[in-house]
Amino acid sequence: MRITALTFALGVLLTCASSNALVTDVPTVLITGASRGIGLEFARQYAERGWNVIATARTPADDKLLQDLISEHDNVTVEELDVTNHAEIDTLAKKLQDQPIDILISNAGISGGYENQIFGKLNYKSFDDVFAVNVKGPLKIAEAFINHVAASEQKKLVNISSTEGRFSQLRGGGGYFYRGSKSALNMAMRNVALAVKSKGVIVGILTPGFVDTDFTARFDSQLKITVEESVSKQIAVIDTMTPDMSGVYVSHEGIRMSW
Amino acid sequence: MRLSSALGTLLLGVTFWHIATATATDSPTVLITGASRGIGLEFTRQYADRGWNIIATARTPQDDELLQALAAQYDNVSIEQLDVTDHAEIDAVAKKLADQPIDILLNNAGISGEMENQIFGKINYDVFDDVMMINVVGPLKMSEAFIDHVAASDMKKIINVTSGEGSIGRVQFPALYFYRSSKSALNMVMVNLARTVKDRGVTVGIIGPGLVRTDFTSYLQKLNMNLPFQTPEESVNKYIAVIDDYGLEDSGSYLRNTGDTYPW
Repeated sequence: MRITALTFALGVLLTCASSNALVTDVPTVLITGASRGIGLEFARQYAERGWNVIATARTPADDKLLQDLISEHDNVTVEELDVTNHAEIDTLAKKLQDQPIDILISNAGISGGYENQIFGKLNYKSFDDVFAVNVKGPLKIAEAFINHVAASEQKKLVNISSTEGRFSQLRGGGGYFYRGSKSALNMAMRNVALAVKSKGVIVGILTPGFVDTDFTARFDSQLKITVEESVSKQIAVIDTMTPDMSGVYVSHEGIRMSW
Repeated sequence: MRLSSALGTLLLGVTFWHIATATATDSPTVLITGASRGIGLEFTRQYADRGWNIIATARTPQDDELLQALAAQYDNVSIEQLDVTDHAEIDAVAKKLADQPIDILLNNAGISGEMENQIFGKINYDVFDDVMMINVVGPLKMSEAFIDHVAASDMKKIINVTSGEGSIGRVQFPALYFYRSSKSALNMVMVNLARTVKDRGVTVGIIGPGLVRTDFTSYLQKLNMNLPFQTPEESVNKYIAVIDDYGLEDSGSYLRNTGDTYPW
């Protein structure tokens, strides 16, 4: 009888301990390019879910909206990170070495300016910038943080791509560097998906839709969706990402796409 | 009678003379980048055998014995020094050839970046820029610089030597991150270009040579996997036949040198 009671008490204690563990072990998400647009909205929505959010940006001290978010949410921390600075990436990876990262969202990206990408007057300086941020950056991030992701529960490395990188649904001829960079990113991540499969890591290649942000300001269109809608749908897709979705090109609506 | 006969003879003579010279000077012209070895050298050889005018370009042609030997053998092969990463040099060659229609611009120059630099976990980012500059920016800059030469020709084709390695849908095992990405990016920019220049009647081809036994694939040859290598002669022979058949309606499609379509 007493033994049973003791066992029961122990059981209650263990249950409490494990519920405490649940509180401290909320999932962690790291987001690049979190100062504005889609990245900022990812930080906001995951923060509202109560996740640990590591929001990275090139110059976070200057990012008022990101600073506002930190002051509203205790669970958001900010790290300075320029995805073109590989030494900075390595330093941050080392600093966070004991921190499992459930979801890493490689979101930082640039368009390179459409005016730089008109055939006959292509500005190749823009090519270097676009490929350094949109292709080399996510690849280096994937390498530097693969162990953090592999050590987590959810093990998801998500890359924000674009349907502009899609061959089978291309409109007009333009955006040479941006489109080229997203096709290159898709290829690189398809390879990463296979390289990290044995670690159980899922590599997402996710497109956000046509979102109303600074990024698309030059387009005047009724078809744009709000950043809130895009990100809530992307998060739903990430939530349901299973290993068979690794290396697959998927839209914010959860639709698998041809390359 | 004698006058008209003489006139007839004269006319016949003039016509014959005109046709003969016209055929000689109006044979098609092809400009080939990376013509010093491998597939580029073989393209030069086979087009030279056809009697075309060949402008064979290479980074350091004075050092390229095989290319020099080919130019000595064929009057119809001329050599230009051209590094596709040197945009000023590209512009200078384009200017020098300002009055020369180019039927086929063959963007062949390319590098792999070496397999050992592209292993996940120890990727050497120092070679990323070289791979992208040569494999993506080079063909794009060449196309910009020579678009008027091509548009002024009869055939009006820009042909890009891509690779089956650029097919995202065909990836079976992880390797060659930069090289594969560069070829996917090349494919994308050339699909864009196909749309941009279609109204000028210019065809943009995206064609892979298949697996060829050259210096380029030495890393694969070392694996001793019994891969179905073609000789450069076989690959280029088929490739040229695909170029011959590749028309404006095909512009921007991704083919193998067998004529089959690759998945993107």
